[in-house]
Amino acid sequence: MKNNIKIQRAIANLTQAELSEKVGVSRQTINAMELGKYVPSTVLALKIAKVFGKTVNEIFELEETD
Amino acid sequence: MKTSYLFPYRFKKASGFLFWITLLLLCSYVMFDSYGNFEIKTKVFAVVADTGLLGGSEWFNWVENSIVDEILFILLIASGLVYAFSKEKTEDEMVSKIRLDSLVWATYFNYIIILLCYMFLYGFAFLNVMMVALFSHLLFFIIRFRWMMYKQNKLSYDEE
Repeated sequence: MKNNIKIQRAIANLTQAELSEKVGVSRQTINAMELGKYVPSTVLALKIAKVFGKTVNEIFELEETD
Repeated sequence: MKTSYLFPYRFKKASGFLFWITLLLLCSYVMFDSYGNFEIKTKVFAVVADTGLLGGSEWFNWVENSIVDEILFILLIASGLVYAFSKEKTEDEMVSKIRLDSLVWATYFNYIIILLCYMFLYGFAFLNVMMVALFSHLLFFIIRFRWMMYKQNKLSYDEE
């Protein structure tokens, strides 16, 4: 699964730490997601989308391999 | 993430310290005190105990026994369980995933090692393996989990 959290974060001018605090996970988790090493749960994906004021589909995208 | 079966984070450091110290003590006790220089003899209640070398056993009786290894084992298992299953500073879903992965990995690894020992070790060497096998799963899990968490933390400091 692809995501554009890093871009959204830049637009919203948030650091990894600030975003992680807003959604209640560790900074490492945000980092792992941005690197594509961790696929978040639906709840976390929805929380992240809410922070950026977007829908989940605008941030997360399925890949060929999924 | 609401996980009710984990211990609070504040237990982590103390239990970790106790676990490694006890492990060290137990290893040195088993390796260097084979002559029984350091013993605390006392009467203990035994469900089953040997009466002699030739296979006789008695049930539900009080027997004389050194309880040093019992004490060390209780400390090791108790502190190990708390250390292995206490929450991280920020407990989230990725930590749960890493924990689960490590648990699966440790289970496979542990049984592979035990099987290899079973096939290739005999006599007293195997008796020692049996003893280690009582806590090896916990030990492998702790090492693997801590290592993965360490790698995760390190990865994250390289970024941004």
